[in-house]
Amino acid sequence: MVDTPLPLEVRNLKKRFGSNEVLKGLSLQAHQGDVITLIGASGSGKSTFLRCMNLLEQPNEGELIVHGETIRFKETRHGREPADWQQVVNMRAKLSMVFQNFNLWAHMTLLENVIEAPVHVLKKPRKEAIEHGRALLDRVGLLERADYYPMQMSGGQQQRGAIARALAMDPEVMLFDEPTSALDPELVGDVLKVMRDLAKEGRTMIVVTHEMAFAKDVSSQVMYLHQGMVEEAGPPAEVLGNPRSERLKQFLAPKH
Amino acid sequence: MIDLQGYGPRLLEGALVTIELALLSLVVAIFLGLLTASAKMSRSWLLHKIGTLYTTVIRGVPDLVLMLLLFFGGQIGINMVTDWLYDRFGIDIFININEFVAGVITIGLIFGAYMGETFRGAFLAVDSGQIEAGRAYGMSEALMFRRIRFPQMMRHALPGLSNNWMVLLKTTALVSIIGLTDMVRVAAEASKATHEPFTFLIPVAVIYLLIASVSEWIFARLQKRYNVGFGEADEWNN
Ligand SMILES: Nc1ncnc2c1ncn2[C@@H]1O[C@H](COP(=O)(O)OP(=O)(O)O)[C@@H](O)[C@H]1O
Ligand SMILES: [Mg+2]
Repeated sequence: MVDTPLPLEVRNLKKRFGSNEVLKGLSLQAHQGDVITLIGASGSGKSTFLRCMNLLEQPNEGELIVHGETIRFKETRHGREPADWQQVVNMRAKLSMVFQNFNLWAHMTLLENVIEAPVHVLKKPRKEAIEHGRALLDRVGLLERADYYPMQMSGGQQQRGAIARALAMDPEVMLFDEPTSALDPELVGDVLKVMRDLAKEGRTMIVVTHEMAFAKDVSSQVMYLHQGMVEEAGPPAEVLGNPRSERLKQFLAPKH
Repeated sequence: MIDLQGYGPRLLEGALVTIELALLSLVVAIFLGLLTASAKMSRSWLLHKIGTLYTTVIRGVPDLVLMLLLFFGGQIGINMVTDWLYDRFGIDIFININEFVAGVITIGLIFGAYMGETFRGAFLAVDSGQIEAGRAYGMSEALMFRRIRFPQMMRHALPGLSNNWMVLLKTTALVSIIGLTDMVRVAAEASKATHEPFTFLIPVAVIYLLIASVSEWIFARLQKRYNVGFGEADEWNN
Protein backbone atom coordinates (compact mmCIF):
# COMPACT_ATOMS: atom_id res chain seq x y z
CA MET A 1 0.00 0.00 0.00
CA VAL A 2 1.18 3.49 -0.85
CA ASP A 3 0.92 6.32 1.64
CA THR A 4 -2.81 6.96 1.58
CA PRO A 5 -4.08 8.24 4.91
CA LEU A 6 -6.20 5.94 7.03
CA PRO A 7 -9.93 6.64 6.74
CA LEU A 8 -10.16 6.80 10.53
CA GLU A 9 -7.80 6.59 13.42
CA VAL A 10 -8.55 7.00 17.12
CA ARG A 11 -5.79 7.27 19.71
CA ASN A 12 -6.19 6.77 23.43
CA LEU A 13 -9.70 8.13 23.67
CA LYS A 14 -11.16 8.80 27.11
CA LYS A 15 -14.65 9.89 28.02
CA ARG A 16 -16.18 10.76 31.38
CA PHE A 17 -19.78 11.51 32.26
CA GLY A 18 -19.37 13.52 35.43
CA SER A 19 -17.03 11.44 37.54
CA ASN A 20 -17.98 8.23 35.75
CA GLU A 21 -15.20 7.29 33.32
CA VAL A 22 -16.90 5.19 30.65
CA LEU A 23 -14.09 5.02 28.07
CA LYS A 24 -10.66 4.45 29.51
CA GLY A 25 -8.26 4.95 26.66
CA LEU A 26 -9.47 3.30 23.45
CA SER A 27 -7.59 3.21 20.17
CA LEU A 28 -8.60 2.02 16.75
CA GLN A 29 -7.21 2.05 13.23
CA ALA A 30 -9.56 1.58 10.32
CA HIS A 31 -7.86 0.84 7.00
CA GLN A 32 -9.64 1.19 3.70
CA GLY A 33 -12.16 -1.66 3.44
CA ASP A 34 -11.96 -2.72 7.08
CA VAL A 35 -15.06 -3.86 8.90
CA ILE A 36 -14.48 -3.45 12.61
CA THR A 37 -17.13 -4.85 14.88
CA LEU A 38 -17.48 -3.70 18.46
CA ILE A 39 -19.01 -6.23 20.81
CA GLY A 40 -19.53 -6.22 24.55
CA ALA A 41 -22.14 -6.28 27.26
CA SER A 42 -24.72 -3.52 27.55
CA GLY A 43 -23.13 -0.50 29.23
CA SER A 44 -19.59 -1.43 28.22
CA GLY A 45 -19.26 1.83 26.23
CA LYS A 46 -19.78 0.69 22.62
CA SER A 47 -22.26 3.42 21.68
CA THR A 48 -20.31 6.11 23.48
CA PHE A 49 -17.14 5.07 21.64
CA LEU A 50 -18.93 5.22 18.29
CA ARG A 51 -20.54 8.57 19.14
CA CYS A 52 -17.17 10.02 20.10
CA MET A 53 -15.86 9.17 16.63
CA ASN A 54 -18.12 11.75 14.99
CA LEU A 55 -18.19 13.97 18.07
CA LEU A 56 -21.83 13.52 18.98
CA GLU A 57 -20.14 13.11 22.36
CA GLN A 58 -17.07 15.15 23.22
CA PRO A 59 -14.16 12.97 24.34
CA ASN A 60 -12.21 14.30 27.32
CA GLU A 61 -8.89 13.05 26.01
CA GLY A 62 -7.50 11.43 22.93
CA GLU A 63 -6.90 12.06 19.28
CA LEU A 64 -9.19 11.69 16.32
CA ILE A 65 -7.73 11.59 12.82
CA VAL A 66 -10.10 11.44 9.88
CA HIS A 67 -8.52 10.77 6.51
CA GLY A 68 -5.22 12.17 7.73
CA GLU A 69 -6.72 15.28 9.29
CA THR A 70 -6.34 15.64 13.04
CA ILE A 71 -9.38 17.18 14.74
CA ARG A 72 -8.34 20.19 16.80
CA PHE A 73 -9.67 20.72 20.31
CA LYS A 74 -9.60 23.57 22.81
CA GLU A 75 -10.36 23.81 26.51
CA THR A 76 -13.42 25.85 27.47
CA ARG A 77 -15.26 26.27 30.74
CA HIS A 78 -17.71 23.61 29.50
CA GLY A 79 -14.79 21.25 29.05
CA ARG A 80 -12.89 20.15 25.98
CA GLU A 81 -14.53 21.20 22.73
CA PRO A 82 -13.62 21.18 19.05
CA ALA A 83 -11.62 24.28 18.19
CA ASP A 84 -13.14 24.61 14.75
CA TRP A 85 -16.74 23.57 14.22
CA GLN A 86 -16.40 23.88 10.48
CA GLN A 87 -13.77 21.16 10.64
CA VAL A 88 -16.20 19.00 12.61
CA VAL A 89 -18.95 19.59 10.07
CA ASN A 90 -16.60 18.57 7.23
CA MET A 91 -15.50 15.56 9.21
CA ARG A 92 -19.06 14.45 9.94
CA ALA A 93 -19.88 14.66 6.28
CA LYS A 94 -17.18 12.01 5.73
CA LEU A 95 -18.47 9.64 8.41
CA SER A 96 -22.10 8.73 8.12
CA MET A 97 -23.98 7.12 10.92
CA VAL A 98 -26.76 4.56 11.00
CA PHE A 99 -28.72 4.57 14.25
CA GLN A 100 -30.46 1.87 16.23
CA ASN A 101 -33.76 3.75 15.91
CA PHE A 102 -33.20 4.74 12.27
CA ASN A 103 -33.83 8.45 13.00
CA LEU A 104 -35.12 9.20 9.54
CA TRP A 105 -36.66 12.68 9.37
CA ALA A 106 -40.36 12.09 9.77
CA HIS A 107 -41.54 15.14 7.84
CA MET A 108 -39.68 14.16 4.68
CA THR A 109 -40.30 11.37 2.22
CA LEU A 110 -37.71 8.64 1.94
CA LEU A 111 -36.15 10.22 -1.15
CA GLU A 112 -36.13 13.63 0.53
CA ASN A 113 -34.34 12.05 3.50
CA VAL A 114 -31.72 10.60 1.20
CA ILE A 115 -30.98 13.82 -0.70
CA GLU A 116 -31.23 16.20 2.29
CA ALA A 117 -27.62 16.25 3.45
CA PRO A 118 -26.08 15.87 -0.04
CA VAL A 119 -28.03 18.93 -1.21
CA HIS A 120 -27.81 21.12 1.89
CA VAL A 121 -24.50 20.05 3.43
CA LEU A 122 -22.44 18.90 0.45
CA LYS A 123 -24.16 21.44 -1.88
CA LYS A 124 -24.65 18.83 -4.55
CA PRO A 125 -26.96 19.89 -7.41
CA ARG A 126 -30.47 18.71 -6.59
CA LYS A 127 -30.98 16.84 -9.83
CA GLU A 128 -27.78 14.89 -9.42
CA ALA A 129 -28.64 14.11 -5.79
CA ILE A 130 -32.04 12.78 -6.81
CA GLU A 131 -30.54 10.53 -9.48
CA HIS A 132 -27.95 9.19 -7.07
CA GLY A 133 -30.57 8.86 -4.33
CA ARG A 134 -32.92 6.86 -6.51
CA ALA A 135 -30.09 4.53 -7.53
CA LEU A 136 -29.27 3.96 -3.86
CA LEU A 137 -32.90 3.29 -2.99
CA ASP A 138 -32.96 0.77 -5.80
CA ARG A 139 -29.89 -0.87 -4.31
CA VAL A 140 -31.50 -1.37 -0.93
CA GLY A 141 -34.71 -2.55 -2.57
CA LEU A 142 -36.82 0.50 -1.77
CA LEU A 143 -37.20 2.38 -5.03
CA GLU A 144 -40.96 1.97 -5.05
CA ARG A 145 -41.06 3.46 -1.53
CA ALA A 146 -39.24 6.66 -2.56
CA ASP A 147 -42.27 8.87 -1.93
CA TYR A 148 -43.36 7.22 1.31
CA TYR A 149 -42.91 8.87 4.68
CA PRO A 150 -40.87 6.97 7.29
CA MET A 151 -43.92 6.28 9.45
CA GLN A 152 -45.54 4.53 6.50
CA MET A 153 -42.76 1.93 6.38
CA SER A 154 -41.73 -1.06 8.46
CA GLY A 155 -38.70 -0.88 10.72
CA GLY A 156 -36.63 -2.95 8.32
CA GLN A 157 -37.52 -0.67 5.42
CA GLN A 158 -36.73 2.40 7.50
CA GLN A 159 -33.33 1.00 8.41
CA ARG A 160 -32.51 0.14 4.81
CA GLY A 161 -33.64 3.66 3.91
CA ALA A 162 -31.34 5.02 6.61
CA ILE A 163 -28.47 3.05 5.07
CA ALA A 164 -29.27 4.61 1.69
CA ARG A 165 -29.22 8.03 3.39
CA ALA A 166 -25.78 7.21 4.80
CA LEU A 167 -24.48 6.02 1.41
CA ALA A 168 -25.70 9.18 -0.29
CA MET A 169 -22.90 11.07 1.47
CA ASP A 170 -20.24 8.92 -0.25
CA PRO A 171 -18.76 8.44 3.20
CA GLU A 172 -15.19 7.44 3.97
CA VAL A 173 -16.41 5.41 6.91
CA MET A 174 -19.87 4.20 7.94
CA LEU A 175 -20.72 3.95 11.62
CA PHE A 176 -23.48 1.54 12.66
CA ASP A 177 -24.89 1.50 16.19
CA GLU A 178 -26.80 -1.74 16.69
CA PRO A 179 -28.62 -1.33 13.39
CA THR A 180 -30.77 -4.42 13.81
CA SER A 181 -31.54 -4.29 17.53
CA ALA A 182 -34.83 -2.43 17.19
CA LEU A 183 -36.14 -4.71 14.45
CA ASP A 184 -38.55 -7.62 14.56
CA PRO A 185 -36.54 -10.82 14.04
CA GLU A 186 -38.00 -11.49 10.60
CA LEU A 187 -36.78 -8.08 9.37
CA VAL A 188 -33.18 -8.42 10.57
CA GLY A 189 -32.06 -10.53 7.61
CA ASP A 190 -32.78 -7.92 4.93
CA VAL A 191 -30.77 -5.28 6.76
CA LEU A 192 -27.83 -7.61 7.41
CA LYS A 193 -27.86 -8.60 3.76
CA VAL A 194 -27.45 -4.97 2.71
CA MET A 195 -24.60 -4.58 5.20
CA ARG A 196 -22.86 -7.72 3.97
CA ASP A 197 -23.02 -6.37 0.42
CA LEU A 198 -21.49 -3.11 1.57
CA ALA A 199 -18.64 -4.97 3.24
CA LYS A 200 -18.10 -7.01 0.11
CA GLU A 201 -17.76 -3.93 -2.07
CA GLY A 202 -15.01 -2.65 0.22
CA ARG A 203 -16.78 -0.09 2.39
CA THR A 204 -14.97 0.87 5.57
CA MET A 205 -17.39 0.18 8.40
CA ILE A 206 -17.45 0.27 12.17
CA VAL A 207 -20.33 -1.75 13.51
CA VAL A 208 -21.65 -2.13 17.03
CA THR A 209 -23.65 -5.32 16.97
CA HIS A 210 -24.92 -8.35 18.84
CA GLU A 211 -25.15 -10.37 15.63
CA MET A 212 -22.26 -12.77 16.17
CA ALA A 213 -22.69 -14.52 12.83
CA PHE A 214 -22.32 -11.20 11.08
CA ALA A 215 -19.26 -10.32 13.17
CA LYS A 216 -17.71 -13.67 12.41
CA ASP A 217 -18.31 -13.71 8.65
CA VAL A 218 -17.85 -10.09 7.75
CA SER A 219 -15.42 -8.35 10.06
CA SER A 220 -11.73 -7.90 9.53
CA GLN A 221 -11.36 -7.10 13.21
CA VAL A 222 -13.42 -7.67 16.33
CA MET A 223 -13.04 -5.57 19.47
CA TYR A 224 -14.51 -6.84 22.69
CA LEU A 225 -15.13 -4.01 25.15
CA HIS A 226 -15.52 -4.40 28.87
CA GLN A 227 -16.12 -1.40 31.14
CA GLY A 228 -14.66 1.04 28.67
CA MET A 229 -11.54 -0.94 27.88
CA VAL A 230 -10.59 -3.28 25.05
CA GLU A 231 -10.40 -6.71 26.62
CA GLU A 232 -9.63 -8.60 23.42
CA ALA A 233 -9.19 -7.54 19.84
CA GLY A 234 -8.10 -9.20 16.64
CA PRO A 235 -9.36 -11.16 13.64
CA PRO A 236 -12.74 -12.82 14.23
CA ALA A 237 -11.32 -16.31 14.01
CA GLU A 238 -9.12 -15.53 17.02
CA VAL A 239 -11.40 -13.40 19.14
CA LEU A 240 -14.63 -15.26 18.47
CA GLY A 241 -13.20 -18.68 17.59
CA ASN A 242 -10.65 -18.88 20.35
CA PRO A 243 -11.43 -16.41 23.13
CA ARG A 244 -8.81 -16.16 25.85
CA SER A 245 -10.51 -14.32 28.70
CA GLU A 246 -13.07 -16.06 30.85
CA ARG A 247 -15.36 -13.05 30.48
CA LEU A 248 -15.41 -13.18 26.69
CA LYS A 249 -16.03 -16.94 26.81
CA GLN A 250 -19.00 -16.26 29.06
CA PHE A 251 -20.18 -13.47 26.76
CA LEU A 252 -20.02 -15.71 23.69
CA ALA A 253 -21.54 -18.77 25.34
CA PRO A 254 -24.98 -19.61 23.93
CA LYS A 255 -27.62 -18.11 26.21
CA HIS A 256 -29.82 -20.39 28.38
CA MET B 1 -79.24 47.00 5.20
CA ILE B 2 -78.31 48.80 8.38
CA ASP B 3 -77.97 52.56 8.05
CA LEU B 4 -74.47 53.38 9.31
CA GLN B 5 -75.35 57.09 9.23
CA GLY B 6 -72.23 58.08 7.35
CA TYR B 7 -69.88 56.23 9.72
CA GLY B 8 -69.34 53.36 7.22
CA PRO B 9 -66.01 54.54 5.74
CA ARG B 10 -64.55 55.39 9.14
CA LEU B 11 -65.62 52.02 10.49
CA LEU B 12 -63.87 50.30 7.59
CA GLU B 13 -60.75 52.35 8.18
CA GLY B 14 -60.93 51.32 11.82
CA ALA B 15 -61.24 47.69 10.78
CA LEU B 16 -58.12 48.04 8.65
CA VAL B 17 -56.25 49.52 11.61
CA THR B 18 -57.34 46.55 13.72
CA ILE B 19 -56.16 44.05 11.11
CA GLU B 20 -52.84 45.79 10.47
CA LEU B 21 -52.22 46.15 14.17
CA ALA B 22 -53.03 42.51 14.84
CA LEU B 23 -50.87 41.17 11.99
CA LEU B 24 -47.85 43.32 12.79
CA SER B 25 -48.17 42.49 16.49
CA LEU B 26 -48.28 38.82 15.54
CA VAL B 27 -45.04 39.14 13.60
CA VAL B 28 -43.35 40.85 16.56
CA ALA B 29 -44.78 38.27 18.97
CA ILE B 30 -43.59 35.31 16.87
CA PHE B 31 -40.14 36.83 16.58
CA LEU B 32 -39.92 37.52 20.32
CA GLY B 33 -41.42 34.13 21.05
CA LEU B 34 -38.74 32.32 19.06
CA LEU B 35 -36.06 34.41 20.78
CA THR B 36 -37.51 33.72 24.22
CA ALA B 37 -37.82 30.00 23.56
CA SER B 38 -34.19 29.89 22.38
CA ALA B 39 -33.03 31.89 25.40
CA LYS B 40 -34.84 29.58 27.78
CA MET B 41 -33.39 26.49 26.11
CA SER B 42 -29.86 27.86 25.83
CA ARG B 43 -27.15 26.68 28.17
CA SER B 44 -26.26 30.26 29.08
CA TRP B 45 -27.39 30.97 32.61
CA LEU B 46 -27.91 34.67 31.88
CA LEU B 47 -30.07 34.19 28.78
CA HIS B 48 -32.15 31.66 30.67
CA LYS B 49 -32.74 34.13 33.52
CA ILE B 50 -33.65 36.95 31.13
CA GLY B 51 -36.16 34.74 29.32
CA THR B 52 -37.74 33.63 32.59
CA LEU B 53 -37.93 37.17 33.95
CA TYR B 54 -39.61 38.39 30.77
CA THR B 55 -42.31 35.71 30.73
CA THR B 56 -42.93 36.00 34.47
CA VAL B 57 -43.41 39.78 34.36
CA ILE B 58 -45.64 39.72 31.29
CA ARG B 59 -47.82 36.93 32.62
CA GLY B 60 -48.19 38.52 36.03
CA VAL B 61 -49.24 42.04 34.98
CA PRO B 62 -52.57 42.88 33.29
CA ASP B 63 -52.31 43.71 29.59
CA LEU B 64 -53.93 47.10 30.09
CA VAL B 65 -51.47 48.12 32.77
CA LEU B 66 -48.57 47.03 30.57
CA MET B 67 -49.91 49.02 27.66
CA LEU B 68 -50.32 52.23 29.70
CA LEU B 69 -46.95 51.68 31.33
CA LEU B 70 -45.19 51.25 28.00
CA PHE B 71 -47.00 54.10 26.30
CA PHE B 72 -46.75 56.77 28.99
CA GLY B 73 -43.69 55.38 30.70
CA GLY B 74 -42.00 54.97 27.34
CA GLN B 75 -42.77 58.59 26.44
CA ILE B 76 -41.36 59.83 29.75
CA GLY B 77 -38.25 57.72 29.23
CA ILE B 78 -37.71 59.10 25.75
CA ASN B 79 -38.28 62.66 26.96
CA MET B 80 -35.68 62.16 29.66
CA VAL B 81 -33.19 61.02 27.07
CA THR B 82 -33.91 63.88 24.66
CA ASP B 83 -33.81 66.46 27.52
CA TRP B 84 -30.46 65.09 28.59
CA LEU B 85 -29.17 65.25 25.03
CA TYR B 86 -30.30 68.92 24.84
CA ASP B 87 -28.73 69.87 28.18
CA ARG B 88 -25.47 68.10 27.56
CA PHE B 89 -24.90 68.55 23.86
CA GLY B 90 -27.47 71.07 22.73
CA ILE B 91 -28.97 68.48 20.43
CA ASP B 92 -32.61 69.40 20.01
CA ILE B 93 -34.81 66.52 18.97
CA PHE B 94 -38.37 65.67 19.83
CA ILE B 95 -39.70 62.15 19.57
CA ASN B 96 -43.37 61.50 20.03
CA ILE B 97 -44.37 57.91 20.51
CA ASN B 98 -46.66 57.03 17.67
CA GLU B 99 -49.79 55.30 18.99
CA PHE B 100 -49.74 52.66 16.27
CA VAL B 101 -46.12 51.75 16.85
CA ALA B 102 -46.68 51.76 20.61
CA GLY B 103 -49.63 49.43 20.13
CA VAL B 104 -47.66 47.00 17.96
CA ILE B 105 -44.74 46.95 20.38
CA THR B 106 -46.91 46.48 23.46
CA ILE B 107 -49.10 43.76 22.03
CA GLY B 108 -46.08 42.10 20.43
CA LEU B 109 -44.26 42.21 23.75
CA ILE B 110 -47.20 40.73 25.66
CA PHE B 111 -47.85 37.91 23.24
CA GLY B 112 -44.16 37.26 22.65
CA ALA B 113 -44.08 35.92 26.18
CA TYR B 114 -46.99 33.56 25.57
CA MET B 115 -45.58 32.49 22.20
CA GLY B 116 -42.27 31.81 23.92
CA GLU B 117 -43.91 29.20 26.11
CA THR B 118 -45.75 27.70 23.14
CA PHE B 119 -42.58 27.47 21.06
CA ARG B 120 -40.49 26.11 23.89
CA GLY B 121 -42.87 23.24 24.50
CA ALA B 122 -43.06 22.59 20.75
CA PHE B 123 -39.28 22.54 20.29
CA LEU B 124 -38.88 20.16 23.21
CA ALA B 125 -41.43 17.82 21.65
CA VAL B 126 -39.27 17.26 18.56
CA ASP B 127 -37.66 13.80 18.59
CA SER B 128 -34.06 14.23 19.76
CA GLY B 129 -32.91 11.28 17.65
CA GLN B 130 -33.83 13.16 14.48
CA ILE B 131 -31.94 16.23 15.66
CA GLU B 132 -28.96 14.01 16.36
CA ALA B 133 -29.21 12.56 12.86
CA GLY B 134 -28.99 16.10 11.48
CA ARG B 135 -25.94 16.78 13.57
CA ALA B 136 -24.34 13.49 12.54
CA TYR B 137 -24.81 14.37 8.87
CA GLY B 138 -22.86 17.60 9.18
CA MET B 139 -25.73 20.07 9.48
CA SER B 140 -24.96 23.36 11.21
CA GLU B 141 -27.29 24.53 13.99
CA ALA B 142 -28.82 27.10 11.62
CA LEU B 143 -29.46 24.54 8.89
CA MET B 144 -30.96 22.13 11.40
CA PHE B 145 -33.24 24.87 12.67
CA ARG B 146 -34.50 25.62 9.19
CA ARG B 147 -34.78 22.09 7.85
CA ILE B 148 -35.66 19.97 10.89
CA ARG B 149 -36.44 21.77 14.15
CA PHE B 150 -38.73 24.44 12.74
CA PRO B 151 -40.85 22.29 10.39
CA GLN B 152 -41.24 19.58 13.04
CA MET B 153 -41.90 22.01 15.86
CA MET B 154 -44.71 23.77 13.99
CA ARG B 155 -47.10 20.87 14.25
CA HIS B 156 -46.84 21.02 18.03
CA ALA B 157 -46.93 24.83 18.16
CA LEU B 158 -49.88 25.52 15.86
CA PRO B 159 -52.70 24.80 18.33
CA GLY B 160 -51.14 27.18 20.88
CA LEU B 161 -50.26 29.68 18.17
CA SER B 162 -53.83 29.70 16.98
CA ASN B 163 -55.16 30.28 20.51
CA ASN B 164 -52.70 33.09 21.11
CA TRP B 165 -53.65 34.72 17.84
CA MET B 166 -57.37 34.71 18.69
CA VAL B 167 -56.69 36.32 22.07
CA LEU B 168 -54.25 38.78 20.46
CA LEU B 169 -56.88 39.80 17.94
CA LYS B 170 -59.30 40.70 20.71
CA THR B 171 -56.59 42.41 22.75
CA THR B 172 -56.12 44.95 19.96
CA ALA B 173 -59.37 46.55 21.18
CA LEU B 174 -57.37 47.87 24.14
CA VAL B 175 -55.40 50.29 21.95
CA SER B 176 -58.30 52.76 21.85
CA ILE B 177 -57.18 53.56 25.42
CA ILE B 178 -53.94 55.07 24.15
CA GLY B 179 -55.82 57.03 21.52
CA LEU B 180 -55.55 54.81 18.47
CA THR B 181 -58.62 54.82 16.26
CA ASP B 182 -59.35 51.17 15.67
CA MET B 183 -62.82 49.96 14.74
CA VAL B 184 -63.90 49.64 18.38
CA ARG B 185 -63.16 53.29 19.02
CA VAL B 186 -65.02 54.37 15.87
CA ALA B 187 -68.01 52.30 16.93
CA ALA B 188 -67.91 53.72 20.46
CA GLU B 189 -67.81 57.29 19.16
CA ALA B 190 -70.60 56.67 16.69
CA SER B 191 -72.75 55.01 19.35
CA LYS B 192 -72.33 57.99 21.66
CA ALA B 193 -73.16 60.49 18.93
CA THR B 194 -76.20 58.69 17.55
CA HIS B 195 -77.47 56.85 20.68
CA GLU B 196 -77.75 53.71 18.53
CA PRO B 197 -75.08 51.37 19.94
CA PHE B 198 -76.33 48.21 18.20
CA THR B 199 -76.10 49.78 14.76
CA PHE B 200 -72.34 50.01 15.18
CA LEU B 201 -71.36 47.34 17.68
CA ILE B 202 -73.06 44.49 15.86
CA PRO B 203 -71.12 45.11 12.62
CA VAL B 204 -67.93 45.33 14.70
CA ALA B 205 -68.70 41.97 16.33
CA VAL B 206 -69.40 40.49 12.90
CA ILE B 207 -66.08 41.76 11.53
CA TYR B 208 -64.19 40.20 14.47
CA LEU B 209 -66.00 36.93 13.85
CA LEU B 210 -65.16 37.10 10.18
CA ILE B 211 -61.47 37.61 10.87
CA ALA B 212 -61.58 34.77 13.38
CA SER B 213 -63.21 32.41 10.87
CA VAL B 214 -60.70 33.19 8.16
CA SER B 215 -57.89 32.67 10.67
CA GLU B 216 -59.28 29.33 11.72
CA TRP B 217 -59.41 28.21 8.12
CA ILE B 218 -55.80 29.29 7.58
CA PHE B 219 -54.64 27.54 10.76
CA ALA B 220 -56.43 24.35 9.74
CA ARG B 221 -54.57 24.44 6.42
CA LEU B 222 -51.26 25.03 8.17
CA GLN B 223 -51.91 22.21 10.61
CA LYS B 224 -52.53 19.89 7.72
CA ARG B 225 -49.39 21.07 5.98
CA TYR B 226 -47.17 20.47 9.02
CA ASN B 227 -48.78 17.14 9.88
CA VAL B 228 -47.52 15.61 6.66
CA GLY B 229 -45.56 12.50 7.56
CA PHE B 230 -47.21 12.23 10.97
CA GLY B 231 -50.82 12.01 9.78
CA GLU B 232 -53.54 9.64 10.81
CA ALA B 233 -52.95 5.97 10.16
CA ASP B 234 -56.20 5.55 8.20
CA GLU B 235 -54.82 7.64 5.34
CA TRP B 236 -52.03 5.15 5.05
CA ASN B 237 -53.55 1.73 4.81
CA ASN B 238 -51.32 0.34 2.15
N1 LIG C 1 -25.40 10.88 28.12
C1 LIG C 1 -24.94 10.11 29.14
N2 LIG C 1 -24.87 10.62 30.38
C2 LIG C 1 -24.40 9.86 31.41
N3 LIG C 1 -23.99 8.61 31.30
C3 LIG C 1 -24.05 8.04 30.08
C4 LIG C 1 -24.53 8.75 28.94
N4 LIG C 1 -24.47 7.94 27.85
C5 LIG C 1 -23.97 6.76 28.31
N5 LIG C 1 -23.71 6.80 29.63
C6 LIG C 1 -23.14 5.73 30.45
O1 LIG C 1 -21.96 5.29 29.82
C7 LIG C 1 -21.85 3.89 29.92
C8 LIG C 1 -21.69 3.29 28.54
O2 LIG C 1 -22.89 3.45 27.83
P1 LIG C 1 -23.06 3.03 26.31
O3 LIG C 1 -21.94 3.58 25.55
O4 LIG C 1 -24.42 3.39 25.90
O5 LIG C 1 -22.91 1.45 26.40
P2 LIG C 1 -23.31 0.34 25.33
O6 LIG C 1 -23.63 1.00 24.04
O7 LIG C 1 -22.12 -0.55 25.27
O8 LIG C 1 -24.49 -0.37 25.90
C9 LIG C 1 -23.08 3.39 30.65
O9 LIG C 1 -22.74 3.20 32.00
C10 LIG C 1 -24.06 4.52 30.51
O10 LIG C 1 -24.91 4.58 31.60
MG1 LIG D 1 -25.45 1.04 22.89
